[in-house]
Amino acid sequence: MDATAFLARVEDYHKDGWRLALINVTTVMPVVAAHGAAAAAPTAVPAVPAAPAPAVPAESAEAATPPTPAEAPGVFEIAWAFAKDGKFETIREQIVAGDAVPSVSEFFGAAFLYENEIRELFGINVVGIVVDLKGQLYQTATKVPFSHAAIKARLAAVAAAAVKPS
Amino acid sequence: MRRTTIPFGPQHPVLPEPLVLDLILMDEKVVDAVPTIGYIHRGLEMMVERVEYTEMGFVVERICGICSFMHGMGYCVSLESIMNVEVPERAAWLRLIWAEISRIQSHLLWLGLGADAFGFENLFMHCWRMREQILDIFEKTTGGRIIHSVNRIGGVKRDISDSELDAILVQLQTLGAAFKETARVFGTDPSIAHRLGGVGILSKVDALAVDAVGPMARASGLRTDTRLIGANYYDRIEFEPVVETAGDCLARVVVRMREIDASIDIVRQAIDKMPKGEGLPLENRPRGNPLGEVFTRLEQPRGEVLYYVKANGTKNLERFRARTPTFANIPAMIKLVKGCDLADVPNIILTIDPCISCTER
Repeated sequence: MDATAFLARVEDYHKDGWRLALINVTTVMPVVAAHGAAAAAPTAVPAVPAAPAPAVPAESAEAATPPTPAEAPGVFEIAWAFAKDGKFETIREQIVAGDAVPSVSEFFGAAFLYENEIRELFGINVVGIVVDLKGQLYQTATKVPFSHAAIKARLAAVAAAAVKPS
Repeated sequence: MRRTTIPFGPQHPVLPEPLVLDLILMDEKVVDAVPTIGYIHRGLEMMVERVEYTEMGFVVERICGICSFMHGMGYCVSLESIMNVEVPERAAWLRLIWAEISRIQSHLLWLGLGADAFGFENLFMHCWRMREQILDIFEKTTGGRIIHSVNRIGGVKRDISDSELDAILVQLQTLGAAFKETARVFGTDPSIAHRLGGVGILSKVDALAVDAVGPMARASGLRTDTRLIGANYYDRIEFEPVVETAGDCLARVVVRMREIDASIDIVRQAIDKMPKGEGLPLENRPRGNPLGEVFTRLEQPRGEVLYYVKANGTKNLERFRARTPTFANIPAMIKLVKGCDLADVPNIILTIDPCISCTER
């Protein structure tokens, strides 16, 4: 994402008197055809075709075959939602896991709570949070419960439990 | 002077729920507060991975025992707008009535807890006695006192007969009249004014800066109320949000007391305007699986709640996120706690009406 352009948009919302209503993150996972049935089959379709695919090195021998969703770095969808009176608008960005996301807490003081939350629950690298809680906000059994790997492990466990009785 | 760190919660006499706050003190003054949430984190948002969208509504209701009706309603409204389902008129009015009754219930519960926190055991008992009457109404009309499960995607499960609605209105108006005596004590008692007046002042500018919502923002002079956007039939109701300007703990008490009266009037208007009769349609069942996404906003007793629902065409939602009013008010609470006396911390924390179950989901 273009951090400068993004922060300029956020600043505009701030100057116009908008309120930060929510910062929401969705972990984009490949959609499995039917719930429970053949969940473990590796024929998953990427949910978002526009996912910024990492540049494949030209010298790679496997360059001809596109990386399967399991191998590609995961994608997160982030929405910054702003509210003003009856109006409601969002800024959407898609980032690849590991990318840095600029903090908006210098404009919206309340953002620090959302940003600490998405850093702890999704493992997103938010830089420049005004109030940095240093991983103290949530105490969860799984360290990063909404990372791609954690969700995949849980979905696999659900699928395994579904086939057990037969 | 040495800095002292005092843990406030998870167990504390004034806290109904386990809020965890590390207070950093210089002498008796709080200089910083570090919140930790997660003590009762249940990972309900994560359950969309296992629970089908048709059943998820019942999970969402269990986010919190005080706003359970509106959580169920918010979930159903979100799915209805994704699946383009029109809710029958009577069902929409019934939802509005239940929502307002649950607002009265929540405010009475909170006023009782607030009174208990500043040492008025007697007021606490009066408030909760009145709240019990509201719970009786819920039990009679939905079958449940706390968890109602009357919301379905596409409508509501149960009807309330017209005669019963009239009886409920009479009961609410009687309660409203009786509450005036309790409200008089809250408003005029000198020891309450001494304990709450001028304590924890959130100015209008600060309320805007920390994005406060609900009674917290309205007590600081902001005319903000999600009901004003008119969704869920609120556009057919004439009402004006209750706004106070003092911004202190007492103003937050007064806002909630006045909102009880306002809600009774909204229920009266709703019963007046809703279509009458037996056997009117209550539910339009959706077909298939949802595909799409939506942000839904509702005004809960504690302020604006925001749901984000994303569905990908399977039986399981891709993402469900509830941003509850307490979560939005935590920055305001931390702002107020900084610089206050340690002895005022319990009252300041209680007057944001913290619902930790909601916050931690």
